[in-house]
Amino acid sequence: MRAKDPTTSTPVRIAWIVVSAALTVVAVRVAYGATPKIVTDLSNTVALSLAFAGLVLLTHYLGLLSLGQGALVGVGAYAALHAVNDFGVPVMWMPLAGLLAGTLIGAVVAIPSLRLPKAYLALLTLSLAVAYPIILKQVDGNLPVTLDGSFVAPSWTGITEEDEHIWEFFLVASYVAITLFLVQGLLKGPVGRAFIASRDEPEAARAFGVPVYRLRLYGVALSGGMAGLAGGLLMIPTNFNDFTHYPEELSIKMFALAMAFGGSRLISAIPGAVVLIFLPVWLIDRNWVVEYGWVGLFKSEGFIYAALLLATAYLTRGKGFMHLLDSRKHRKLAISRPVNRRVSIVVEKMVTLEDRLTEVEALVENRSDLRSSTEATD
Amino acid sequence: MSLFLQRTFDSLANGSAYAALAVAISMVFRSTGVLNLAQGQLAMFSTYVALVLATGPSPYLKFSSNTDVLGAAWPIWAAILGAVVISMVIGAFTERVIIRPISNDPVAAVGATLGLYLLIGAFVRKQWGGRTMFLGSPFPQTVDDRWDIGGARLWHDSVGITLTMIGVLGLLAVLQSRTKAGLAFRAVTSNQTGSLMVGIRVSRVLMLGWALAAGIGALAGGLIAGEINVRPDMMGRLLVFGLAAATLGGLRSPALAFVGGYLFAFLETMLGGYVSFIDSQVTLVWALLVLIIVLFVRPSGLLPRTEAWLQR
Repeated sequence: MRAKDPTTSTPVRIAWIVVSAALTVVAVRVAYGATPKIVTDLSNTVALSLAFAGLVLLTHYLGLLSLGQGALVGVGAYAALHAVNDFGVPVMWMPLAGLLAGTLIGAVVAIPSLRLPKAYLALLTLSLAVAYPIILKQVDGNLPVTLDGSFVAPSWTGITEEDEHIWEFFLVASYVAITLFLVQGLLKGPVGRAFIASRDEPEAARAFGVPVYRLRLYGVALSGGMAGLAGGLLMIPTNFNDFTHYPEELSIKMFALAMAFGGSRLISAIPGAVVLIFLPVWLIDRNWVVEYGWVGLFKSEGFIYAALLLATAYLTRGKGFMHLLDSRKHRKLAISRPVNRRVSIVVEKMVTLEDRLTEVEALVENRSDLRSSTEATD
Repeated sequence: MSLFLQRTFDSLANGSAYAALAVAISMVFRSTGVLNLAQGQLAMFSTYVALVLATGPSPYLKFSSNTDVLGAAWPIWAAILGAVVISMVIGAFTERVIIRPISNDPVAAVGATLGLYLLIGAFVRKQWGGRTMFLGSPFPQTVDDRWDIGGARLWHDSVGITLTMIGVLGLLAVLQSRTKAGLAFRAVTSNQTGSLMVGIRVSRVLMLGWALAAGIGALAGGLIAGEINVRPDMMGRLLVFGLAAATLGGLRSPALAFVGGYLFAFLETMLGGYVSFIDSQVTLVWALLVLIIVLFVRPSGLLPRTEAWLQR
C-alpha cells in the first residue's frame, strides 16, 4: 500500500554510485595535481565538513542550538595531539582520541542543559566557546604545540615522502567518508525518524514511547563526537595546535554557516566547510582585509557572516537555504507517501478499513437488492 | 580575615557588571523568550560611544569629530549617560526591526542576535581597530581614594559602581512594581495574549523592555570600562559570567540574576585568590564548571522549584 520511496529507488542509487565514483576520481586528480597548499586547505575543508555535519544533525534533525562546535573541534584537536605526544598512540589512530573527547564533553554539556528549555544548551555551549581558548592557553601555553609524529605513506601507495600532503588528504577523506556513511545510515533509519519526531512533536513522540531526553543526549554527544573527530583530523594536515585556532568567533561562524547551508542531508555540510576555509583566503587574495572604514566593514568577514545570519533568519526562518529546495521536494513527496513509520501503519490500517467498509457496503447493497426483489415478488 | 575582606571588596565592581548584564539578559528573555546573545556586544559598542563623547575631537578616534557640534569633550558622567540613551534607542530599534518580524521562531531569533553580535564586532574592529583604549572611571580612582576597613582597602570607585548599579536596578524594580508601564511589563511577561486582550500595547512594552535592557548593559559597560579598559573583546568574559548569573536566576528572574552576578564575582575572586592552581584567567573555567554542577543539582537555579515549574 505504501508508495515506494523515490530517494532509495534503483536509479537514485545508481546515480549516487556514479556521483561518488566521479567525486573520488576528482579528489584523486586534485590531490595529485594541485599545489601542496591547496591540498592542505582541502584536507582541512574535508575534516571540518564533519564538524559541520554534526552541527547540521543538531540544528536540523534535533532542532537544538550549539554555539560551541568550534570549541569541541578544539577539544578533539587537543586530545588527538596529546594522545600521540603523551601516550604514544599511533598517529593513524589519533583522531579517535578526538572522537572520544568530543563525545565526552558534548555529553557533559548536554546532560544538565537538556533537562531545561532549549536556550540553556545554546547558553552553555556559547560559554564553552568563550572559555575554551582561555583554557587551552592556560594548559598549553602561548606557544604552539607540535605533533611528535609524521604521516608516512605505505610503500604500496607509491606516494613519496615529499608528497606527504597527498597521503594526509586521503587519510582525512577516508575517515570523513566512513563516518558520514555511518551517520547518514543512522539518520535514515528509525533513529533519524525519532530525532525528527522529537524535534517537531516532542510530546507526541513521548506518547509513542520515544525517549526524547535520552535521544537528544545521544544526538548532542554524537554531534560533539563528530566535531572532536574533525579536530583530530585537522591535526593530520596541520601538525600543531594553538589556542588562537579556536576563538569563540569560530563557533559562531560555524553556526552561521550550518544554519545557512544546512538542510536535511549531511552532505549539505560541505558548502559551510568550503566557505569557512576559503573565504579568508579569498579576502586576503583580494587585499580586502586591510581596508578600514565603511568600505572595509562591508568587505570584512564579520560583516559577511552577520549578513548571512540575518538573511537566513529572515528569508528561511532559520531553516537554511537548502531547506527551501528540500521543502519544494517534500511538498511533492508528501502527497505520495507518509514519512513516519507509525503514521504509515495507521494510514495502512485506515485504508484497509476503508476497503472493508466498501466491501460491507457492497454486501449490504446486494442484500438490500435481494430483500427488495423478495419484497417485490411477495 | 583581612585578606578575605579584601577579596570580597575586590569582587564588588565585577559583580555589579555581571549583575547588570544578567539582569538585562533575563529581562529580554522573560519578556520575549529570546536569548539576546548580542547583549555584551551592545554594551561594548555603547562603551565606545561613551569614549567618543568623552574624548572630544581627536584624530585618533573615529567619529569623535562629530561631537564637535555638541561642544568639546563631555564630562565622563554625561558621556556615559549619552551612551546609555543612544544604546536604548538602538535596543528599541533592534526589537522593532530585527527581532519582532521573526520572534515566533526561536532559532531564527537567536540567529539574528548572533548576526548582530558579529556585525557589532566587525563594525567596532573596522572603525576603531583592536587596540586597547582608556575611558576612565566616573568615580575618583587615585591611590588615596579608598577606605581602610579591617586591614582591607575598599576603593571609592568600586563602591560607586556598586551603589550606582544597585540604585539603577532598584529604580527599575520600583518602575516595575509602582508604575503603569511596569504593570504593563509584568502583564506582558506573564501572558502576552491576555495583555493584548485587555488593551495593553504589547509591542510597545516589548520595545521598552529591549530599550531598558540595552540601557542597563550600556551603563554597566561605561562604569566597568575604568576597571578593564575599552577593547573589542572587553565583554566576552563579562557575557559568560552574565549568562551564568542569569542562569542562576532561572533566566526569568531579574532579581535572582542580580544576586547571581554578585555570587559569581565572589566565587571568581575567592577561587582565584585561595586556590593555588587557579589563576585569574582560569576562574572562568571554574565558574563554568560550577554552573554545570548547579544545573545538574538544581536545574531551576536559585528560583524556587514550584515557581520555575509555573514559569515553564
